[in-house]
Amino acid sequence: MPDLRPFPALAARKPLASSRIRLSALPEGTILQMIAGPQTPGPVDGLERLAAKTGLALRAISPGQWLLVGDRPTPYPQACRLLAALEPHASGIDQSHGRVRLHLEGPMAATVLSKGTAVDLHPSAFAPGHTAATLVGHVSVHLTRLDAEAFEITVLRGFAEALWDDLALMCAEFL
Amino acid sequence: MASLVPCPHCGPRPKEEFTIKGAALPRPAPTADPAEWFDYVYLRDNPRGSYAEYWHHTAGCRRWLVVSRDTITHQVAACRDAAAQGHAA
Amino acid sequence: MSSHRLPQGGLIDRSKPLAFTFDGKPMQGFQGDSLASALLANGRRLVGRSFKYHRPRGILTAGAAEPNALVTIGSGGRTEPNTRATMQELYAGLAARSQNRWPSLHFDIGALNGLLSPFLGAGFYYKTFMWPAAFWEKVYEPFIRKAAGLGRATHQADPDRYEKRWAHCDLLVIGAGPTGLAAALSAARAGARVIVADEQAMAGGALLSETATIAGRTAPAFARDCAAELEALPNVTLLTRTTVFGWYDGNVFGAVERVQKHLAEPAPSVPVERLWRIVAKGAILASGAEERPLVFGGNDIPGVMMAGAMRSYLNRHAVAPGRATAIFTTNDSGYALARDLEAKGLDITAIIDPRESGGADYAGKARLIRNAVVTDAHGGRSLSAIDIRTGGRTERLAVDALALSGGFSPVIHLACHRGGRPVWSGEKAAFLSPASLDGLAPAGAASGIAGLAACLADGAHKGASLAAALGFAASPIPFGPVEGDAPAAPAKVLWSIPGVRGKAFVDFQNDVHHRDLDLAVKEGYGHVELAKRYTTSGMATDQGKLSNINAIGLLAEARGVSPGEVGTTTFRPFYTPVSFGALAGAYHGEHFQPVRRSPLHGWAERHGAVFVETGLWYRSAWFPRTGEKDWRESVDREVLNVRNNAGLCDVSMLGKIEICGPDAAELLNRAYCNAFLKLPVGKARYGLMLREDGMVYDDGTTSRIEENRFFMTTTTAYAAGVMNHMEFCAQALWPELDVRLASVTDQWAQMAIAGPKSRKILQAIVDEDLGNDAFPYLAAREVSLFGGRLHGRLFRISFSGELAYELAVPAAYGDRVAEALTEAGQADGLVPYGVEALSVLRIEKGHVTHNEINGTVTPGDLGFGKMVSASKPDFIGKAMLQREGLNAPDRPRLVGVVPLDPGQSFRSGAHILAKGAAPTLENDQGYVTSSAFSPHIGSTIGLALVRHGDERHGEDVTVWNGLRGEFTAARLCAPVFFDPANEKLHA
Ligand SMILES: [Zn+2]
Repeated sequence: MPDLRPFPALAARKPLASSRIRLSALPEGTILQMIAGPQTPGPVDGLERLAAKTGLALRAISPGQWLLVGDRPTPYPQACRLLAALEPHASGIDQSHGRVRLHLEGPMAATVLSKGTAVDLHPSAFAPGHTAATLVGHVSVHLTRLDAEAFEITVLRGFAEALWDDLALMCAEFL
Repeated sequence: MASLVPCPHCGPRPKEEFTIKGAALPRPAPTADPAEWFDYVYLRDNPRGSYAEYWHHTAGCRRWLVVSRDTITHQVAACRDAAAQGHAA
Repeated sequence: MSSHRLPQGGLIDRSKPLAFTFDGKPMQGFQGDSLASALLANGRRLVGRSFKYHRPRGILTAGAAEPNALVTIGSGGRTEPNTRATMQELYAGLAARSQNRWPSLHFDIGALNGLLSPFLGAGFYYKTFMWPAAFWEKVYEPFIRKAAGLGRATHQADPDRYEKRWAHCDLLVIGAGPTGLAAALSAARAGARVIVADEQAMAGGALLSETATIAGRTAPAFARDCAAELEALPNVTLLTRTTVFGWYDGNVFGAVERVQKHLAEPAPSVPVERLWRIVAKGAILASGAEERPLVFGGNDIPGVMMAGAMRSYLNRHAVAPGRATAIFTTNDSGYALARDLEAKGLDITAIIDPRESGGADYAGKARLIRNAVVTDAHGGRSLSAIDIRTGGRTERLAVDALALSGGFSPVIHLACHRGGRPVWSGEKAAFLSPASLDGLAPAGAASGIAGLAACLADGAHKGASLAAALGFAASPIPFGPVEGDAPAAPAKVLWSIPGVRGKAFVDFQNDVHHRDLDLAVKEGYGHVELAKRYTTSGMATDQGKLSNINAIGLLAEARGVSPGEVGTTTFRPFYTPVSFGALAGAYHGEHFQPVRRSPLHGWAERHGAVFVETGLWYRSAWFPRTGEKDWRESVDREVLNVRNNAGLCDVSMLGKIEICGPDAAELLNRAYCNAFLKLPVGKARYGLMLREDGMVYDDGTTSRIEENRFFMTTTTAYAAGVMNHMEFCAQALWPELDVRLASVTDQWAQMAIAGPKSRKILQAIVDEDLGNDAFPYLAAREVSLFGGRLHGRLFRISFSGELAYELAVPAAYGDRVAEALTEAGQADGLVPYGVEALSVLRIEKGHVTHNEINGTVTPGDLGFGKMVSASKPDFIGKAMLQREGLNAPDRPRLVGVVPLDPGQSFRSGAHILAKGAAPTLENDQGYVTSSAFSPHIGSTIGLALVRHGDERHGEDVTVWNGLRGEFTAARLCAPVFFDPANEKLHA
């Protein structure tokens, strides 16, 4: 039987780490895009319950749109059930392979990101739990502040290496 | 160098995150007079002053917005989600 | 060595000597010196030659406005021409070179231009070189290029790193002089987020050259303490070596930080310059004021210097201006210099003041000459004497240094960057910033206020009130009594000086003198914008920071109006020059644009693909094998192999959009011109999307995965555009439709498996039955792979005209699946093929791409007229597609074209003429849109858009390539060269 292990998008990139900044790839687990219909753009009933039940984290990405993310892959039949769980109010679309998550952490994390994004990342304006879809340099990303010094950066798979290389350059002075 | 567009969903963002379509005009009915369609597709006012345009927050929330800005000062007077006001301006 | 360095004093560190060279000559300065102060300390006055007349030039200022002391520093890729010696910090090993001189600075042949000056006056470009026209390129321009100019840029790549960043603050303070420091502290102590930017290496501005004391502390010590407090506050960012160069929409300020420009060897991991975009809720312009030169003959001779600059070199760098100094001042600031010179025991030959009772408070020893002007300065490469005119009498005094002060102009450039116009104040004899600016408040000297105490108070007040307006409990900080403050009252206006004999320079950098401006007015170019271009005054790299005000004053005087009536030219960013490196940031070379990688990139690489850039993607173009002579051989093999066996091609870069929701079908029905409502679940359909003007926009296949879930593919090139367009339809046009759209381009690795053996090969990994009945043409379903180990989506669609499939699997599995298929297909001859072969296959089959869908074609032009739904009430493009012109019978229509002689060929872009017709515009029948060598046909084939094309199959024509002058006899035919009956497709 052929080898069918998945091939991570950032397999060729080694984590960068110093006392000031750390950049690594998060495991390619589960990313489900949940989109509400225009009639129910607010928080969909059950979305939070679904997150709690599955242990997936909920990230707002746009009005009426969320990502459910987690570090472990969801088996196909279960993923199909989750994607359909909120119908007809919201549709689920599997993006577990379409997006790649990076982890940027350290006292200089916000400074590094400010080299790419115009979003004000001061803790008073972008507290832990805050999310933003934005450009980092020339690449569209989705940012989540995990805690004071840690960010999750979600990017289209095809751009993962390019974003990594740009971020590595932005980190260089702190390595 | 910069122009900040106040996205109603994302807050002020630089223009690089947006795609501009042009004048926010109401789409005529499919049965409308050909002259009305011709105006919609081809004719633009190019005013000196206030102008309402469709901007897409492509690298942000991916919502289509109606941005009303002054073509002289670049001041943005209003920025609304295009869906929030039905068929265009 | 340091003939002009005073034995003590200054903010230099005498324990840290720095060796440097100027034109190869070794010199020494100290830590804390600028290149200019170090040159002066070494007794070096002549530092450059002027732009046009090659006149000897020295150091005029001590700051950003310096027009004369431009040098080239660095070497190789780090060469920086036109560096202002006044702004360059000295570092050990700095090598500076003078510019615009040949063979040497002391003996410069170009100085002969001075003798040619009658021909080089205002407007000389327009007059002297008018005729004959041919002389311009061959004689005049090369001569001017050689004779005039500044430094030369290097052709080597810059080895250093640059970057950009964003910053946000409540208050941006521009300038860290007394006003800026007071403003910043008053806001920062209340907790506001403050950014302070100053172009100097240390905060302090004018305080660093000041001898007054503040609450008993020396001015530099006061500056140091303020800076230390700001640095220690977590809510403050103090940026030194940072020039705020522009004010933009949204209250965004551009600034450039020279992170490592003061170091001989920059650390490679740190950028040398950083471009800041600062979003500020409020900003204070504390940029100070610029001292104005006076316009007398020889005012450019080395040794003539601005009074404030002389005071700065004296107090901050402990450099004596000369042995016999004169001061020519129209205001009280010249007396502060006199006081400081005398305090250091330096001789002042005379103070020349045109006012009747100037210097009333002056208590020094110098000879004070009132009601007097300096008419001319003398000396070649260094000042030796000045002529002083009092009443009708002229007296010559021997001096080796002359300080000038013609009053002060607030530095208000930034305040005018968003369209505001400066306002003339007769009372202050200066242009002030436009009133009531939203988001930017000029303060201190930049707002026309004079004196240290007044500036501190104004800064503190404005800093506190801006912070208070944002909700902070801020109040102005009282800094205590100021001793020794010498506020300069407004200057006596002195634009033109009577009795001048020599050249009296207005714009030093562009060599514009007072007679040029007179001439401009006489010849009708007195409007400020015309005079600027006619004389080139204010058009040099310094943008007339020193000169513009005098030019305006002289124009006003010549026209008999006030300077306010003349007005200023427009201030635009950048305030001072910004390097291309800083503007590009990190985005050059490999980082110029992001590379988008297919999930099958590794698979393609392992099989030897040659890649081609397609937008941001790298696509496999072909897969050469050893022994193949050129790309054509590889591509022909790949094409024939698909026709005879099977091939595998990466099509992951097609745009993929998932469309869900109860109204998904309705949205598709309105976005495509053909019908989609009744597409059955499990089926794919070719779709054609129009623009509202009726022209074809894009094409692709859309499959119905579930009742309310569709999977759309777009062309690679238009993937992003189609997604935006679909969102526009859903959000802006028909928000009442309940649809949910998501781009899934990156979720799926997609591969085309094409060729007669493709079913057999695929069946090896697909669990479901792929027999023709079970999985017919246009079937589109989720499938199970490898015995249920994986799930994917399989589409029986074909771009090549062969029995073909596209298989989509979750992206991370793409590489392994492609490899498994390659292996499984080996026995049946499956090989990878690239986009070149793909293109040949589709041309053979007559499938269109954006070569044909070029924005000028209707569905009918492409032969898709019957596809367009006549029954749908509405779809994008429906109304405009009815237009007469879009349905005219003579429109160019898609047709095939083959050369009569298979040995001949033609290229895309070549035009179609009736057989034997002359190549004229009237005879033009259309053009070839796509062409390729078809191994199946055995010759070049093409697709073309030709008038009445669909009615002309079989007609002989001429294909004309105007660029190469080639005429190829050819025949029009049906635009299908392979399997016109679609038997293979359905097999
Ligand atoms: Zn937005």
